[in-house]
Amino acid sequence: MTSARIPALISELRREARDGLVYMEVCGTHTMAISRAGLRQLLPAGITLVSGPGCPVCVTSTADLDRVVALARRPEVTLATFGDLVRVPSSRTTLAAERAAGADVRVVYSPLDAVNLAQAEPEREVVFAGIGFETTAPIVAAAVLESRARGVANFSVLSLHKTMPLPLRALLDLGETPISGFILPGHVSVVTGTACYEFLASEYAVGGVVAGFEPDDVLEALLMLVRQTAPTIEIGYRRAVRAEGNLVAQRLMATVFAPSDADWRGLGVIPGSGLALADEYRESATEERFTIEIEEPIEPKGCACGEVLRGVLDPADCALFGSRCTPGDPVGPCMVSSEGSCAARYRYRDVDGVV
Amino acid sequence: MCLAIPMRITAIDGALATIVAEGLEQHASLALVPEAAVGDHVLVHAGYAITVLDAEEAEERMKLFAELGEFEAGQRDGLD
Repeated sequence: MTSARIPALISELRREARDGLVYMEVCGTHTMAISRAGLRQLLPAGITLVSGPGCPVCVTSTADLDRVVALARRPEVTLATFGDLVRVPSSRTTLAAERAAGADVRVVYSPLDAVNLAQAEPEREVVFAGIGFETTAPIVAAAVLESRARGVANFSVLSLHKTMPLPLRALLDLGETPISGFILPGHVSVVTGTACYEFLASEYAVGGVVAGFEPDDVLEALLMLVRQTAPTIEIGYRRAVRAEGNLVAQRLMATVFAPSDADWRGLGVIPGSGLALADEYRESATEERFTIEIEEPIEPKGCACGEVLRGVLDPADCALFGSRCTPGDPVGPCMVSSEGSCAARYRYRDVDGVV
Repeated sequence: MCLAIPMRITAIDGALATIVAEGLEQHASLALVPEAAVGDHVLVHAGYAITVLDAEEAEERMKLFAELGEFEAGQRDGLD
């Protein structure tokens, strides 16, 4: 049982860690895993874990959320989405509220389900809200190709996809918190490989370890980080991640998508950090089929999700945490997304060191 | 969104695999791992296999997932 390694890993960390080490994870699944296992309570005092912009739903801007709602409101549109988006507050509403008011919002597990849906209901215009990083984008790319291969014309993707390396550069350029190293995303890295992170070490002298998701995986990655004598990019999650990544997935992403500018909650517009459907695939882009008009976005009042996403505010220190903002009645996305930092700290507050 | 579940391929029909884990059977596309074969363990995310896993480690992880009830979690559509 791999959890038997945990006490040994903890004592090695206690022996070897210096003071003032700040490690940032940038993957919502890591955020949840760390809170669920109560790792913060087990680590030596010299190590602080902070969460970065690793939750794709949380980093989606309010304006983009409003665009999804605008589409869902169109009577001819079936809005297909991952379940995670349904309860996220946009300027004035949520997809759940829209659905209750009559909008055709369908939760899908896979973008392929949305293609099948479109094929089964040819009178509907199926719009898939494409949210996710490099783990998900190749899958959406494959679904786009599948829709075209099958001649399913009533399927399109609103691509809100974003890529991981550039926000890390933006964070380091901001320099708001000293970061000793990164716990790098596990499944994004299955696709991307590790070359895209090399700049962290070579340009910023910050190391990183690609970690798996079990508690012992995260602890092992922390030990690898602590042991680095020079900043390097390493793979801890060796059973799933290769240095070159998944070349088929990379090629799919590069064929169907092209880099675009993306607006990140908390970080603003980062040029080239988004993915838009490439020229030959514009036919499958929702923006080519519908003019999407929105009013001026309204940011949730008092919401500090932006600072949480940059790792400068611990969720528990947000004035709204646990009082005005809870998973059942959220103010911002970080509390309602299944990978949100605030949701993780709240859900596991008994073990995660939240007073 | 990054949640990916280790599962074992029991059958392949074109690009579609039948995958199983602890009695749960479903289908996944092999579009991203065309080299995958029957008997391989793969990580499955949003209806697609994203990589082939080392067999021994995968079996161990699958047992862990089953104990934690993570398979149900992986099938859930998220908070809704």
